[in-house]
Parts: sequence; C-alpha cells; structure tokens
Amino acid sequence: METPLIETIDLRKSFGEHEVLKGINMKVMTKEVVCVIGASGSGKSTLLRCMNRLTEPTSGEIRFDGYSIMTKETDIDAVRAEMTMVFQNFNLFMHLTAKNNIMLPLMKVKGLDKVAADQVAMDALRQVGLSEKADAFPGHLSGGQQQRVAIARAVAMNPKVILFDEPTSALDPELIQEVLDVMKLLAMGGMTMVVVTHEMGFAREVADRVIFLDAGVVLEEGPPDEMFTNPKNERTRTFLRRILKEVEMLDPLPCHEPQP
Amino acid sequence: MRNVKDEIPSNHGARTNRGPNQVKEFYDTHTTLVNKSILVVCIVLALILGMGSYIINGNINSILRALGNTILISVIAIAMGFALGIVIGLGRVSRNIFISGICSIYVNILRGTPLLIQIFFIYFGLPAVGFLIDPIVAAVLALGLNSGAYQGEIIRGGIQSIPKGQMEAARSTGMSYLKAMRYIIIPQGLRLIIPPMTNEYVTVIKDSSLAYAIGVFELTYIGYKLESWYFQPFIVFTFIALLYFILTSITSSIMMYVENRTRIPGYMGGAE
Repeated sequence: METPLIETIDLRKSFGEHEVLKGINMKVMTKEVVCVIGASGSGKSTLLRCMNRLTEPTSGEIRFDGYSIMTKETDIDAVRAEMTMVFQNFNLFMHLTAKNNIMLPLMKVKGLDKVAADQVAMDALRQVGLSEKADAFPGHLSGGQQQRVAIARAVAMNPKVILFDEPTSALDPELIQEVLDVMKLLAMGGMTMVVVTHEMGFAREVADRVIFLDAGVVLEEGPPDEMFTNPKNERTRTFLRRILKEVEMLDPLPCHEPQP
Repeated sequence: MRNVKDEIPSNHGARTNRGPNQVKEFYDTHTTLVNKSILVVCIVLALILGMGSYIINGNINSILRALGNTILISVIAIAMGFALGIVIGLGRVSRNIFISGICSIYVNILRGTPLLIQIFFIYFGLPAVGFLIDPIVAAVLALGLNSGAYQGEIIRGGIQSIPKGQMEAARSTGMSYLKAMRYIIIPQGLRLIIPPMTNEYVTVIKDSSLAYAIGVFELTYIGYKLESWYFQPFIVFTFIALLYFILTSITSSIMMYVENRTRIPGYMGGAE
C-alpha cells in the first residue's frame, strides 16, 4: 500500500484546560486535495497548524512522507520547506516587493542564487497571473492579489504539499473568486493540498476528499459528492444545511462556479 | 508653513464660519509671529556671540578640540549602544528564560541608576581592580553601556510590534528563527524604531556632557573653563549650548532623512 504523504495518529492539542484536538487520525495521499470543513472553533486551523508544527501538538504522531516529524532529530525547517503554507491574512513580508517575497525564501532556504531565484519567482508570479505586479509592495496590492502572491510564494518552493488556512476568509466577496481560481489551477496541476475552508462550492468541486471536523473530532469524511448530498452524520447534515443556506441567501447567483 | 496652508480642506472655512481669506489671514499672522520670534532669538544670539567673539576667537583651537571630543564620544557610544542594543533586544524576546532574565536585569540596573554614578563606577572602579583607564575611554564605555540598555528596550519594542504573522510566514517557508529575525523581523522593526532612536541619540549627545566630571576635555568642560577665565557665564554657556543644539539638530535631520528614505511604500504610514 502506498505511504500517505501526511499521516496524523491520535493527534491532540490542548490550550490550557481546553482540548481543541481530541485525537485526530487522518491521511493525505500524494496529489490528493483534502478539504477540512467545520464550524468555527472546531479546531480546523489548529489541526492544519499542527501539521507543520507552527502550533506544537500536545501529543500524538505526525508522519511526513513516511517519517515521523515529531522526533528530537527532526529538522522542522527542512520539513516546512516541503510543506509550505498559505495564511488567512496573507502574511506577505511587508517590506519586500511581491517578487522579493518569493525570492527571499528561495535564496535563504533553498540556497538558489539571485538569477535562478528571480526566474523561479517570475514563473510563480506568472502562474498566479501577477507578473506585472512583480515590483509592487504588498501595501499596494488588493487582498486578492496579496493572497495570490502568497500562493506563488508557497508554490515557488516546489513543496510536496501546500497547507491552506482559510485562504479566502479575510477577502472581500468579490475578490474570493480570483484566489479560488488560482487554487483550482494548482489542484488540476497535481499539487497535493490540504485546505481549511468555508467555501463549500470549492470543496465540492475541487476536493478529492472532505473531512468534517466537529469539536476536535473527525466526525465524517468521504468524497465531496457523498458528503454534500448524503451526509451520514446528523451534525454534518445540520452544519451543511446551515452553511449552504447562508451561501444561498448571500449569493442568489451561482457566482462560485468556475469562470470559463 | 506653506504646506500647512495647502493641506486645509476646501470646506474647512465654511464649517468654521470663516471665509477662505480669514483662514489665510490667520495662518499668515501665525507664520509672521513664528518668523518674528525666530528672528528675535537669532538677533539675541548674534549679539551675545558678537560680544563674546573675542573669547571664541582666542580659544578656537581648544573649542574645536572639545567639540571633536564630544562628537567622538557620542558617535562611538551610540554605535556601541546600538550593537549592544541589538543583542539585548533579541535577548529580551528570547524564549530562553536564562537569556531574557540576564538581559532584563542588565536593562533594569543600567536604566535605574544615575549615569554619572555609572561613569564614576567605571572611571574609578576599573583602576581599583587593576585596569588603568583613560577618562575619555571611561566616558565612552559608560555612555555606550548605558545607551545599550535604552536602545535594547527600543529594539525590543520594535521587534514586538511586528505582527506575529510575519514570523509565522517566515518560519512556514522553512526559515530558521534566526534567519526569520534577520531577514524579516529586524528589517521591519528597525524602520519602526527610528523616531524613538532619534530621542535616544539626542539624549546621548547631551549626556556626553557628564564626562566633564571625570575631566574629559569636551564641550561642557571647555565651557566651564572659559567661564572661570572670563567671568562671562551668559556668553560662554549660550555659545556652548548653541554648539550642542547644532549637533542634536544635525542628528535629528539625519534620522528624519533615514526615516523618509527607508519608508515602506503603502505600509505603516509609508507614502507612495
């Protein structure tokens, strides 16, 4: 059997008394797009941030490419270079231009020289459709553009998997689509992705597997068609009904369909 | 002053029931007043210095040497304090309680005791344990160590005011803590701390006058000497104060220039 790219075994995380993750077992296979959904406070973001140990898990095991990354000998920086992340608030380096945002980790982590890094950065920017904004500072880009640069930064490292932490939650509604389109292209290109999201349209269309998290436990997981049309668990059903109704009320037009 | 006028919104006059002409008049009067008072100060200064020109002319070499020493002490102390401040600032935000504890104790002692005592401590203390020391070296050392504590606190403030997401983003690309500090956090933090650093540098220049107490040949020392030779306290100390004022003004201008040059476009008050 194929080794999963990421595997968590009984992953737990407590903040003080409050246990946020109560023993998560999940697998992400290579080239798979996994969407993690669930209500706020269900532990989705914590789960994602535990995967690259940006948040240190309280206990449990994480394997990346078959090897544990929870040992003392683990070079977590090397792991993170292969498991990059896209944040809710973009977190572009504010003092650097879009291109330099991408070039800096290439040079300082991967050791590329300036010319090579420049080339990779421009390729990545082209991929997200922002090559003309290469020299713009983050402060002069819209939220959607900033997030696309952040995705380019994550892609340029040529990682094995990209973690997306609610990539569209901080965006104005009209800017969400451009980011989702870029992510869709990435998924079609065969990138392994773990996406924490509230965009049910995206999850339904792009995900290979959807995981429903509730109060720190995986309640249900499966292919999106099954999850969205015929959820087995009562809580999943309630959650989906509520959030899909909200989406319907907010957007009477099906604006989350892919643009041709 | 012209800028102030330009920035008045067009509806400003209407809202305050003053016509545009009245507003203009107000600012013109104000400008004239400011200009007049500056003029008066300059005339008084010129008179005093004119009356004291024989003192200045007669001792120009000593004065220049003293000025040179003041500049030397200040510049080295500021540079030393900055290097030390980076270490202290990083140490204060360190997760290692031992390191942050030591840095915190250092800051509290140096900040909590008089600078003059620190100067005496080094100048009289080091020879007592077998290190003979030149007064000017003692002054630089004391000022530098003292300024290091203040600059360290300013740098800590700068580092801590950078949003947490910047560090997380840097770490998520595989940068180590130190690399993230060096390439992401510190470059942004340094820009933020320019205004409080200006305060600190101006303070160091003025505090260098304390070196006179251990006999360093600097501006305050020469002022003291001139006064005791000529019995012209107003003339002498006005002149000495003016020299300090010129030094601090140059420092502020340089820092203002640096601030404008390193402004991040579209971020934290940065212009286009």
